[in-house]
Amino acid sequence: MKKTNILALLLVLILLPAVIWAGGGGEATTKELKGLNTNPLSDYRVRQAIAYAIDMDTVVDTLLEGKARVADSMVPPGPWKPEGLNPYGYNPNKAKQLLKEAGWDANYTLDVVFYYGDQLTVDFMTAVQSYLSAVGMKIKFRKLEGDLKALLWTRPEDPVNGPAAIAWDLCYGASGPLVMQDFYGQYSTGAAGNSHTPSNPELDALLAAAKSSPNIDTQIKAMHEVQKNCNEYLPMIPLFYLELYIFESNKVNRKGAPYGNEGWNYDWKILDWEVTPDAKGRQVLQTDGAPVEFFQEPWYVAGKTYNRFMFDQLIRADAAMLPVKGALAAEYKVGADGKSLTLTLRDGIKWHDGSAITAEDIKWSIEYSLKVPAIQAMFSQTFKSLEGAKAFIAGSADGISGITIQGKSITLKFSELDPFMLTTFSQWSPLPKKYFEKSDPLKFQQQSFWQRPVGSGPFKIDKVEMNDYTTLVPFEAYYGGSPKIHEIVLYPSGENEGDVAKYAQVGKLDYGSTKSLSVVKDLEAMSHIRVTPVSIPLTRFFVVNKFPKK
Amino acid sequence: MLTYTLRRLLILIVMVIVITFLVYLGLELTPGDAVSFMLNPDDIAGLSVEKMEDLREALGLNDPFLGRYFKWLAGVSRGNFGYSLASGVAIKDIVFDRLPATLELSFIALLFSTLFGSIFGCLSALSKGSLADNALTVISMIGVSIPQFFFGLVAIVVFAFRLEWLPVGGRLMPGYATYWDRLPHLILPALVLAAALTASVMRYARSSMLDSLNKDYIKTARSKGLPEWRVNLMHGFRVAMTPVVVLIGFRLPSLIGGSVVIEQVFQWPGIGSEFVSAVKGQNYPLVMMIAFFFVLIVLISSFLVDLFTALLDPRVKLA
Repeated sequence: MKKTNILALLLVLILLPAVIWAGGGGEATTKELKGLNTNPLSDYRVRQAIAYAIDMDTVVDTLLEGKARVADSMVPPGPWKPEGLNPYGYNPNKAKQLLKEAGWDANYTLDVVFYYGDQLTVDFMTAVQSYLSAVGMKIKFRKLEGDLKALLWTRPEDPVNGPAAIAWDLCYGASGPLVMQDFYGQYSTGAAGNSHTPSNPELDALLAAAKSSPNIDTQIKAMHEVQKNCNEYLPMIPLFYLELYIFESNKVNRKGAPYGNEGWNYDWKILDWEVTPDAKGRQVLQTDGAPVEFFQEPWYVAGKTYNRFMFDQLIRADAAMLPVKGALAAEYKVGADGKSLTLTLRDGIKWHDGSAITAEDIKWSIEYSLKVPAIQAMFSQTFKSLEGAKAFIAGSADGISGITIQGKSITLKFSELDPFMLTTFSQWSPLPKKYFEKSDPLKFQQQSFWQRPVGSGPFKIDKVEMNDYTTLVPFEAYYGGSPKIHEIVLYPSGENEGDVAKYAQVGKLDYGSTKSLSVVKDLEAMSHIRVTPVSIPLTRFFVVNKFPKK
Repeated sequence: MLTYTLRRLLILIVMVIVITFLVYLGLELTPGDAVSFMLNPDDIAGLSVEKMEDLREALGLNDPFLGRYFKWLAGVSRGNFGYSLASGVAIKDIVFDRLPATLELSFIALLFSTLFGSIFGCLSALSKGSLADNALTVISMIGVSIPQFFFGLVAIVVFAFRLEWLPVGGRLMPGYATYWDRLPHLILPALVLAAALTASVMRYARSSMLDSLNKDYIKTARSKGLPEWRVNLMHGFRVAMTPVVVLIGFRLPSLIGGSVVIEQVFQWPGIGSEFVSAVKGQNYPLVMMIAFFFVLIVLISSFLVDLFTALLDPRVKLA
């Protein structure tokens, strides 16, 4: 071999790792995440330094007045979270050391964005700015306005090398999915909304494992591994867990019904609830969240208060959000391979207009769900996993071949395993086909149906005075029996959070829920109101952009 | 008179086109669009970009800027006000649903402020330098200075929370059958809205009356031996009211638009709060229609002020 050839080969061998290190080379394993590309945040030591630099204990105690818990994972405490995660307790010296090791450029200014309009967020950003400044990191923060979907979650054309299609470094956000796997869903390669995390086969494999089995124990074990990995390399920086606060006036008696995640559907035993009768002997429950211009459809906001009164699901979840029994479906059966589900409807179930709920309504609702613009990601994932769903979405089939009807039974066959299908059917509500048959699914929310929706739940609409009040009364043909409450009055919440406290103060609110800490403080001061905190999956965190910036 | 009216109408049409175009341009320059605001930011990461684009297409948001404006203008000229992008409800239905609430609030406030502002202003002028004059001047200063939202919150704390005389907000409640049922809901927002205007009308009326009382024609009236009440009322008050009417006329549109704050504080379901929601949600057909309506009121008010000024003040001629 000639001398020049040997020199060229040596040069290539020397330069190749450098090129890969500089961002030119393919997918990285987790261990290689020290400076994956030209973005300093691609080095996990910088992300760790940020976590160490922020004194979350003090933030929770002061800014959040103790009404939150410091997070060490996206998943809140419980069986889904492993023991022994690094809490990244406040340690500015460690942060400085990590930044030094990572070669942090003190002149680099982190671009931190948020999209909440409350004062607490601005106060928190100011605190973060101060903490990071103390370890030698400059930051500027700004509120994003406009097309947030594009500004936050536009994926790069190349999910391995980028460059990023977004401009920010850190985004302050919140996540509150029903299934724990969805906390991490957007961190896998090419996932919808993955604008920030370069392809990492190791993390992809861990995430795939967490969704590969219908067995809960297997899922939990796999999720522990996901969290351990993310706890070490911090593709996102968990900050704190929020709680939901359910408030009730002393007129309300839940008769021992459990408290659960009011943002979703669960067996809250509303039929048993009692309210102190008024002068006419009627039990009237007053709550908030009445529609202002239209009723929000339940496929995107399943847990909206009025939707929980008016729409029923095929399967019932308990307060722990686990699917436990039939609802509109008298029974359901999962196939041995976990890839089929048979739902058998109850006899005599009806819509609020008195017409029968049929298996055809269910089939149509599933198919229509795949055509509307906005639907919960979990529902979409389940329906897209059905056999023939892809052809239906592409327009090459009139219906989803994986859905078959036989009398009152609907059989669903899945082309790939969806471990969350039961959870989906415990949250998703079918709609009456006849009201939408000739409508444009893209304008789903704009249909006149949503001015006075026809549901299937224990309460139906009595009167709608848009932006004034809405009244609901018991649905006489509800299969579960008749509620003890005679009437539910919903008042609009308004855009001002303080309105909740104002209405509660004058006895115009008997029941509701809030995540607003200032409202909770006011409600707790009222002697006729009791406030019950409920642990729900709701985590505030920083999304970190690790793609090289343009 | 006819020529004058026709000329004003022509100007009115041109003004409507120019102002609505500027409003449209402002909306266009605002970041985002109606689709961006329909969804909860915490839940958008997993949504399909393609479907969002399809929705934009279906709602006509991808059409060229000028094309959309002229389409809207053509629709309005044919009496088609369009549909809300958020709910699909016809905009004329939204406007006709919300407008009565705002008009009710504004006209009651205007009535109170005109009546009390004029009377107290003139009494203050007639008793210039007295204790009553000083007290009324201080009260009017306070009325002008205090922001409406603060005054509204204080009124809620006092009359709804402490005394429990009046409701905290809202307009209609279940079971209301007559106008009298809902009258208690109107009192606080109307009085709060009227307070600031009463104060400014009072100050205008006082200075105008003082000015009027020093005029030669007042001296002439007195020298003719007319009784003092007649001099003050028929000669002084009538002329003094000219600038006050101008003020009230110009306040009418701002009263309707300016009721936004009061509507928010008292959860009054009027057109003002609808306008705020529509602007926030980039619901341009609704914003345009409400803006169009406000522009019309301003221009018509201006026209009416000219007419009334001519009627009240013989020196003013319409030409």
